Amino acid sequence: MLVAIVIVTFLVLTALSLPIVFALGLAGFAGLLAGGFSLQKLPSSLVAGSQSWVLLAIPTFVFAGSLMERCGMSYALVNLARALIGWVRGGLGLSVVLAEYFFSGISGSTIADVSAIGAMLTPPMLRAGYSREHAASLVASATAMGILVPPAIFMIVLGQVTDTSVVAIFLAGFIPAAVTAACLMVVVFVQAHRLQWPKDERPTAAEFNVAVRASLVPMVVPVLIVAGFFFGAFTATEAGALVAAYAVAAALLYYKNVRPREMLVLVHDSALLTAAVVFLLAVASVYQFLMGMLGVPALLGEVLRPLQTTPSLFLLAVSVIVIAFGMVLEGLPAAVVLVPVVFPVAKQIGIHPIHFNIVLTAAVGIGLFLPPIGVGLLMALRFADISVGRHFRVYWPYLVSLFVGLIILILFPEITLFLPRRAGMVR
Amino acid sequence: MKALGRAVAWVPHIVLTALMLVAMVDMLAGVFLRYIVTWLSATFDLPSVRFFWVEEIGEYALAWLTFIGAAIGIRRGTHFAVAIVIDRFPPPVRRAVFAGQYVLLATFGALVAVFGWNVSELNSQSFSPALDLNLRWLYLASVVGGILIVVYSLASLNDVRRGKVPGPAEGH
Repeated sequence: MLVAIVIVTFLVLTALSLPIVFALGLAGFAGLLAGGFSLQKLPSSLVAGSQSWVLLAIPTFVFAGSLMERCGMSYALVNLARALIGWVRGGLGLSVVLAEYFFSGISGSTIADVSAIGAMLTPPMLRAGYSREHAASLVASATAMGILVPPAIFMIVLGQVTDTSVVAIFLAGFIPAAVTAACLMVVVFVQAHRLQWPKDERPTAAEFNVAVRASLVPMVVPVLIVAGFFFGAFTATEAGALVAAYAVAAALLYYKNVRPREMLVLVHDSALLTAAVVFLLAVASVYQFLMGMLGVPALLGEVLRPLQTTPSLFLLAVSVIVIAFGMVLEGLPAAVVLVPVVFPVAKQIGIHPIHFNIVLTAAVGIGLFLPPIGVGLLMALRFADISVGRHFRVYWPYLVSLFVGLIILILFPEITLFLPRRAGMVR
Repeated sequence: MKALGRAVAWVPHIVLTALMLVAMVDMLAGVFLRYIVTWLSATFDLPSVRFFWVEEIGEYALAWLTFIGAAIGIRRGTHFAVAIVIDRFPPPVRRAVFAGQYVLLATFGALVAVFGWNVSELNSQSFSPALDLNLRWLYLASVVGGILIVVYSLASLNDVRRGKVPGPAEGH
């Protein structure tokens, strides 16, 4: 009964386009009322859920990413990618994937990635003769992969929700992202030969040097993160602070093209985005209380029992649920509600927490870019100015390769666990 | 009077930016203390510096930042919403739905503020371990956040009454 009240309230309010976080909050109040619990539980969970040292990594990475973008570091990364592989057949398409891998290494927000990569690479692709549909597909599928390259807001949130080391999740992301990128590149390569996509001119040694040198300043960030985490030198929150300080120093001393006032606006906007994410998590923490009281996790454990003998099937089922929910609700809300319920079951049947988190991250990435209403996909389509229906006929091979990447990640946990194990963080 | 209103409207934005700056400077101070000062005091055999307060300041700043930013987000459209159903409604119905939404949001804010006040009172006897700060100051974030949610919802309701209907939010 109580569950029904909560779910119906939430669904009705969400369908009427109330922001999801407030639909959850009001449904939470309804649940507390119906269950005879004190309404004080909601504000106290909100405060308890938002005062978190781990989540403090979010604002710094968001701020650093947007500042570095504003400085023009993203241009340097795109140029580097083009200098590296632009000159093979379909090179521009391949550079979208590679540039997103680099860029995601300095940016924490997937939606920011779509706008940066979409805005920078869509026009040159159209000029080079790529169709609008292919340009949008490349941007969308590459960014779906990019969520696996740390830093990523989503991984910080998952670390908090599943009480897993964010450093280990970050470190675990690099190789799965590369595997997914490789799957995408295969598709791009085949398409390039089928459709005779052009090549960039091969850069001269001098041009290549310029591209590499310009990218040295932004590349410090991913290198700092990989090395710092691999050697266990600092926590994710500390890394965020260092990266933010580095971005400010680079903006003031090297690029000198961002005024202090603009920087304050970025601080303000990053705070707003952070608040939206953390508030959502804080509201969702009420549900952990409610569901625990109702024994939902135990119930779900019963339902999922048939899948318990094959962990990979279990992960696949969870991924499909997350992809579907993530398409409708956006990844974060879907995850903060689902993960606390599913995670204990996953742990119980012997799925490694890091593996679970990385598979979920990949699934959320796909959900964000799944037609017809994935938020990220809709943004990518806006840059290319085409409709979902027309786009899908071209998009599906890219989507298939993302799914293939996901299945590989599910079947081979070693891909995920290699780096964190090497760093001695997990067994 | 109007100028005063506009100046007051700036306050939450300024506080939000200030909290974010405090949090970032605090985190950097934490890194500096943990790596450099600890190393210095160990190397030169100086008395060690305590820095438990770093986490408390950061966490409290984040809690306050979250409540204020979440409230501002109502006006700015930073909270994600699903618009597929409502987009199919005719404009007058859309307006009515949005008006209803802002009433609901204001109710939510009021509930958070009232019960948040109770929680702050309950916690006014406790003190934080490092800064010895009365915990009421932490829980008051929910009261201020709740009140701001009410204020911004009513302001948006007023916009809807004048015929302005908000667009969809972007994601994270």
